[in-house]
Amino acid sequence: MGPLVINEIISENTNLLLAFFIGIGFGFVLEQGGFSSSRKLAGVFYGYDTVVLKVFFTGAITASLGLLFMSLFGWIDLNLVYINETYLTSAILGGIIMGAGFIMGGYCPGTSFCGAAIGKIDAIIFIIGLFIGVFIFAEGYPLWEGVFKANFMGSPRISEFFNISEGLFALMLIIVAVMMFWGAEWAEKKFPREEY
Amino acid sequence: MSKIKKSNYMNPYLAGILLGLVVIAANFISGRSVGASGAIKSAIVAGVETVAPAHAETATFYKEFNEGHTGNPLNSWLVYQMLGVILGGFLSGVLSHRLTWKVEHNPRITSRTRLIFAMAGGILFGLGSQFGRGCTSGSALSGMAVLSLGGFISMMAIFGTAFALAYFFRKLWI
Amino acid sequence: MKKITFTPRMLLTTILLIMGVIIAAVPKNTTTPYKLSAEQILDEIKSGTQYLEPEQIAQMLVEKDPYLQLIDLRPQSEFEKFNLNGAINIPIDNLLSSDYVDVFDQDIKLNVFYSNGSSQANEAWMLLRQLGYTNIYVLRGGMNYWAEAILNPTPPSGLSSNDEIARYNFRRAAGQTLGAEGLDSAPSASSNVKTTKVPAPKPVGKKKKVAGGCS
Repeated sequence: MGPLVINEIISENTNLLLAFFIGIGFGFVLEQGGFSSSRKLAGVFYGYDTVVLKVFFTGAITASLGLLFMSLFGWIDLNLVYINETYLTSAILGGIIMGAGFIMGGYCPGTSFCGAAIGKIDAIIFIIGLFIGVFIFAEGYPLWEGVFKANFMGSPRISEFFNISEGLFALMLIIVAVMMFWGAEWAEKKFPREEY
Repeated sequence: MSKIKKSNYMNPYLAGILLGLVVIAANFISGRSVGASGAIKSAIVAGVETVAPAHAETATFYKEFNEGHTGNPLNSWLVYQMLGVILGGFLSGVLSHRLTWKVEHNPRITSRTRLIFAMAGGILFGLGSQFGRGCTSGSALSGMAVLSLGGFISMMAIFGTAFALAYFFRKLWI
Repeated sequence: MKKITFTPRMLLTTILLIMGVIIAAVPKNTTTPYKLSAEQILDEIKSGTQYLEPEQIAQMLVEKDPYLQLIDLRPQSEFEKFNLNGAINIPIDNLLSSDYVDVFDQDIKLNVFYSNGSSQANEAWMLLRQLGYTNIYVLRGGMNYWAEAILNPTPPSGLSSNDEIARYNFRRAAGQTLGAEGLDSAPSASSNVKTTKVPAPKPVGKKKKVAGGCS
């Protein structure tokens, strides 16, 4: 059955329309979860507000569990969904640069658009920065093309990498996340902050 | 005061579950997942193609982009999705009475400092998202949902670095 | 305050852990659902688009067309006794073995099934068609008809049309070219065929390529 567009159950144009509605859902949930506030987002790195960790990991677990169950029931063919390619060097390098940007700017791209949507001027400035950053990458591309394409590993699943079943990995991920949730609740009590 | 404000946001676990459902819907419908930085890239490519078409034809980056895409770069899944994100965020802000123009910052720093660092952070995040082939949503969240190795590497690199640097930027936030 | 955050977390933890244990314990669903409805299959059967005529195949064989992939569905022992030139052997019992996925899941080579008649080839065609593979065809009439039409064509009677005479001439010519090696009966040659590696072209997906990512 799923993915609908790849099995040609819906057309490409419907797909683009549905992308808009998926975006509305995504933006709505992010904003409701508090991701439109840079101070809430940055809180996770100081322990005073761990909403990022809770929402992000609950979301990732729900999605992977849901997809595995849907595959089990034959509702979606997981061989047909997109799995991002792994280029080891640039994934780590990009992650480090993004981490630095995260702690300085207090947003990530998706959340900054949410912040901008409710009038946060710092979010709008962050978005302008994003455009500049992408533009710098595009213009300087010949300089780092080699790094960008180094250590290509295909599109492996992490369960294949560790050679365990997808279900078992999902269970391990849940256990780790639950422990992090407990740690997060503990940290929020230990590093209380005044409301803002 | 604090309690009223706190309950204003959704319970994070509930928000997380809903976020997971959005990702599932995206995978079920389109076989892909949410993302943000890709839309910015499309916009940059479209902008450069309009302003400096000759440059867009010769520079490697734009050539490689056009090899993988046909038609107007703005007519893409991620661009429509990001338009939805803005509307969705706005609707949520309306519902929860959070629409205000303001620079949100720690009272111990000035708005100016906040905006300078927001700009710097944005530039870095924009640059990093291109190296990482996706940002926190496109690479880390979406990747983790389909148990992609790259997604987990991105997630650990982003959060690991941010934790490691948190001490140096503590004045901005606490 | 404590009550509000603590209880949902406990509930969530419990539900997630239970679901995690279930998903870790059950085997992965590897069944591929059928891609075509019964009506679609019936339409294709009625129109007969799956058939390739012996002449077409003979022509391709004479031209040594690199895109032709003949697939012999008979048991290995029969395949070794005689087979069509360049065919690979996938006994119909092993049709769904994962070893052969790469053979079907590509759109570079033309996969043409044959067995002695055409019923087995048709069965294989129908099954794979339902699994969503598009690049598969059936040699009309199978080996029996092949031998009759290409290797020992009946001369047309004096009253035949030019078309029939032309077809006969083509068949005879093709038969002579392919005759010695076409029906491969020498054991040495068949062992040669047996070692023909199953080609493994890069799979391009049964349907359109998955697009995605944040790039």
